[in-house]
Amino acid sequence: MFFHIVLERNMQLHPRHFGRNLRENLVSKLMKDVEGTCSGRHGFVVAITGIENVGKGLIRDGTGFVTFPVKYQCVVFRPFKGEILEAVVTMVNKMGFFAEAGPVQIFVSNHLIPDDMEFQSGDIPNYTTSDGSVKIQKDTEVRLKIIGTRVDATEIFCIGTIKDDFLGVINDPAAV
Amino acid sequence: MSGEEEENAAELKIGDEFLKAKCLMNCEVALILERKYEQLQQMSEDPMNQVSQVFEKSLQYVKRFSRYKNPDAVRQVREILSRYQLAEFELCVLGNLCPETVEEAIAMVPSLKTKGRVHDDEAIEKMLNDLSLIKKFE
Repeated sequence: MFFHIVLERNMQLHPRHFGRNLRENLVSKLMKDVEGTCSGRHGFVVAITGIENVGKGLIRDGTGFVTFPVKYQCVVFRPFKGEILEAVVTMVNKMGFFAEAGPVQIFVSNHLIPDDMEFQSGDIPNYTTSDGSVKIQKDTEVRLKIIGTRVDATEIFCIGTIKDDFLGVINDPAAV
Repeated sequence: MSGEEEENAAELKIGDEFLKAKCLMNCEVALILERKYEQLQQMSEDPMNQVSQVFEKSLQYVKRFSRYKNPDAVRQVREILSRYQLAEFELCVLGNLCPETVEEAIAMVPSLKTKGRVHDDEAIEKMLNDLSLIKKFE
C-alpha cells in the first residue's frame, strides 16, 4: 500500500552551500539522498512531496558542516503481511513465479498456486489449468495476498499466495 | 514500534504509525507521481535519468492498476468511501481492488466484519454499488 507520511532526517550540509540558496540546496540534497531508498520500517520512499519545516542548524565542531533537522512529506510504498494487492508477473519457473507490485518483488511458490495449475516449460514457461482456461505467464496481472515479508537493509522482499478465494489471474474486462 | 512480528493487514495490524498515516489509492499516487514527473520534465530534457528506479517502477505500476483515471472520479471515490466509517487502509484496499460482490469485499478486507463493526451486508452492498456507479459515469 502507498502512504503519505511525514519523516524526519538530519541533513549535513557543507559550508559551500550556505547563502541565498541554502534551502534549495538542502532540499535537492534531501531528494538525492532519500528518494529511492528503502527501510524496513517505512518501506520504499517513492517521492518527496513537500517540506514541512527545516529546524535550526547545528554547527559541527571541527568540520564546519552544519546539521539541519528536516521534516518532509513523502509517498512511501510499504507492503504488509495479509495485504491483498495486484501485481505483474515478471518471471515463471518450476519453483513458482515472481511478480512485481511497484518497487517490491513478490515470490509465489508452486505450493501456493492452486493445485489444478500445472507448470508448462517451453519458450514461454507458464502455469496453466488442465482445461487451459487460465494461464499465468510473464506480464500476466494477478491478484495475490502477501503472507510474509523479509526485510533487508536496502530491500523488502515478499512471499505471496494465490491459493485463496478471489485471488489469481485478473480477468475482469471492466478493469481494463 | 512494538508488535512488528504480529503485523497482519487482514486484522488491520499495521502499526500505529501507518494506521494513523494517510493511505493513498493507486489512482491518487498516479496523480501525484505524474505531476512530479511533469515538473521534472520542465527542468530537464531527460527526466527518466533524474528519477530513481523506485519512482519509475511505482509510476508504471500505479498507471497500470489505476481504476479511475480522471481526478474528479478519484476525489469522488474517496468521498463516497469515507462515508462508511472505514479505516484509511480499508478504504484504499477497496478503492484499489474494486470488489464486485459483498463476499469478495469481505475476502479482500476481512476487518470489515470484525469486532462488532456496523457493516452489515446491506451497507457493504450499497457501498459497492456507489463505487461501480462512479466507474460507469467516469
